[in-house]
Amino acid sequence: MSDLKYELKKQIIEELNLEDIQPEDIEDDAPLFGDGLGLDSIDALELVVLMEKYYGVKITDEETGKKVLASINAMSEFILEQKEKNK
Amino acid sequence: MKIFVTGIGVVSAIGQDAEQNLRSLQSLTTGLSRSANFNLMLGEVRLSNEQLIEKLDLPNEDYSRTTLLAILAAKEAWSNNKINKSVRTGLISATSVGGLDRTEKYYFESQTSKTARTYSLMTHDNGRTTERVAAELGISGYIGTISTACSSGANAIMQGARLLEGNKLDRVVVGASEPLATFDVKGFSSLNIFDNEICKPFDDKRSGLNLGEGAAYLVLENEHSISVTGNKPLCMLSGWNNATDAFHQTASSPDGKGAYLAMINALAKAGITAGNINYVNAHGTGTSNNDLSESMALRNVFGDAMPSFSSTKGFTGHTLAAAGAIEAVYCVQSILSQAPLPNLNFSTPMKETNMTPETSFRSAKIDYVLSNSFGFGGNCTCLIFGKAW
Amino acid sequence: MYINAASTISHQPTFRNAGFSSNLRKLDPSSGLITPDYGDFIPAMERRRMSHVQKMAIACSLDCLQQAGIQQPDAIIVGTSMGCSINTKNFLDKILAATNGPLSPTSFIVSTHNTIAGQIALSLKNHGYNMTHTQNSLSFEQSLIDGILTIENGAQNVLVGGADEEEDTIYNMRARLKNEEIHLTCGASFFILSKNQDSITSARLVDVASFGLIDNTTGTIKNFLDTNNTLAEEIDLVLFAVSDQENKNDLKSIFQPWQMFDYQEITGTYYTNSSFAMHYAVDILSNKGHSIFGDKVKNILVCNNLIPGNLGLMLLKN
Repeated sequence: MSDLKYELKKQIIEELNLEDIQPEDIEDDAPLFGDGLGLDSIDALELVVLMEKYYGVKITDEETGKKVLASINAMSEFILEQKEKNK
Repeated sequence: MKIFVTGIGVVSAIGQDAEQNLRSLQSLTTGLSRSANFNLMLGEVRLSNEQLIEKLDLPNEDYSRTTLLAILAAKEAWSNNKINKSVRTGLISATSVGGLDRTEKYYFESQTSKTARTYSLMTHDNGRTTERVAAELGISGYIGTISTACSSGANAIMQGARLLEGNKLDRVVVGASEPLATFDVKGFSSLNIFDNEICKPFDDKRSGLNLGEGAAYLVLENEHSISVTGNKPLCMLSGWNNATDAFHQTASSPDGKGAYLAMINALAKAGITAGNINYVNAHGTGTSNNDLSESMALRNVFGDAMPSFSSTKGFTGHTLAAAGAIEAVYCVQSILSQAPLPNLNFSTPMKETNMTPETSFRSAKIDYVLSNSFGFGGNCTCLIFGKAW
Repeated sequence: MYINAASTISHQPTFRNAGFSSNLRKLDPSSGLITPDYGDFIPAMERRRMSHVQKMAIACSLDCLQQAGIQQPDAIIVGTSMGCSINTKNFLDKILAATNGPLSPTSFIVSTHNTIAGQIALSLKNHGYNMTHTQNSLSFEQSLIDGILTIENGAQNVLVGGADEEEDTIYNMRARLKNEEIHLTCGASFFILSKNQDSITSARLVDVASFGLIDNTTGTIKNFLDTNNTLAEEIDLVLFAVSDQENKNDLKSIFQPWQMFDYQEITGTYYTNSSFAMHYAVDILSNKGHSIFGDKVKNILVCNNLIPGNLGLMLLKN
């Protein structure tokens, strides 16, 4: 597992207060919302805050949010992509 | 048992008394404007705390804005009523933040200043705001506070009716007060549901809500009470119900189950059918989620025979805990004026339900009015008012 | 009106410990909240947004339903003076910490007083009547009155509780009660109020009343007893809370010292501690041969005068 993805999982568990879940329990490509981890619309807002707080990455519209917050893979790809852009 | 509404009082962004509020509704004049403090469209009451204290001629002590707005509206509703030993009288007020408007000011100041006054904390608890209003009206005995987020005001009115019905009281002042606290402005902002312009309830292109502040109170009496007070009934409180959506802490269910249950149970309580309702004052906040969920529930209750309906949030903004009480006063005024109330800023019906709200102030036969209020925690309350003559 | 189940989480070993009233000692100043493993009651995904007061309330509610053998109550009514004040303070801190970025919404959405009753309904998927009373020291009594009205309107079983958490940054209870000595605690007590008596309990709630801004405490208590055709000397035990000696003298003018017991010695101080006192009363009435009060206790009056001028009265019989 890449360090970024592991960090993301740890941060999600911490920020969303997911007491009984370990980073290893979250699969990289599993959906975070609905049937996957089971997050909801409030968690989505928390993840937007998380992305900006830890990675300086802004998600400004709902469409981007849906795409970017779909899974750990999607989140880490977006972070790397934004970093590349800002180089 | 009959429950009479004999007094009303209201302060909101569209007026400082019932008469001014009605005139703004009649002339389609919104109270929403861009606030200098927050750079947001807000429904502010155009009186500072100092002006309110002066207007109310209150002694010099600490007041939360919640208390000041409450006293202004409650005194208007209470009018010339007097305390009388043979009429058991109570007060039930609702608020969501209570004295938090003062507490937050102290708390923010205390981070940088050691001299911030701790006394403001004493005005913090919800019950304290109600006690201060009771003292102003001279009421002692049953003094209660309800706090169920955005359905609070409607629940305070329902609670008063239940205490009259249960023969615990003969007369009760009921209502709610809510100031624009930074806490709520920042809170709703964190939910990303503000319309940057004036909200568009029930419109297909609606994009969120505006917050507002205000207070409203009603006087409810049983038959024994009006035989003593001689007060003239303005209308009846005919039905009420509270039900729970039990779907999510903040989001409404897709079919509006809680709202549906509250409406059909309130109709049953009033002993009427959906066909008797002439006007619905909807919760209609202007958010995508509320207005769709509420429309589905309305469709399920009224079918194709939807009566006149509107949301008055485009006038006042969403006044949170006070909304149910302010809109209850508007429902009384709708009956007295024999006119459904208008919905501002509507142009396109929602695709999903194709429902068109009332957009002008026009005469119509109004026998029964239904008012919806929904809050966090899936709390859904419906009140039904009926003509007294 | 019957009390068919009772459950309390507090600074004392009260949870799932029927008969506790015989063994409770005066509260230790260093005591902390004694909690069950909330994982046994609330799934992690639901627990993640809950503060103390919500977790206490849900565990007590589920315990009550289990005791009474009920799947769904007809109504959920909660009295809480301060509501979710820890979440409220947390969100104030978030506002202070935030610069221009987006603000984390979770503590805001679970800050309203009715989050407690709302979360109970959400975890039970209960669509019934759901109410929250927040009249400081009388919040619980008003919830009970509401519960009685609900049963008079046809409900069979109503879940009623009182709950408060400890948070002294945004509200100074010691200053409000003008007493720096009080031992601030917290807790939750829930009950199933029923129309019909269940065989496992023996406590009956005869009457409840709530009075605000009154200046005649003794007259009000006497009236309440008169209304219920009960003489002061027929009360075997008065569980009381007062804030000053003057209020205590009022009670002494009606009751004898041997009738009186200051329940705050056991509950500590929080605005809904009269709900703990009611559970204490229910436990005494349900267990024959009490270690302190003997086996003759049949009538108990809970007299809550915690805030001067505010009076809550609850009359219980077996």
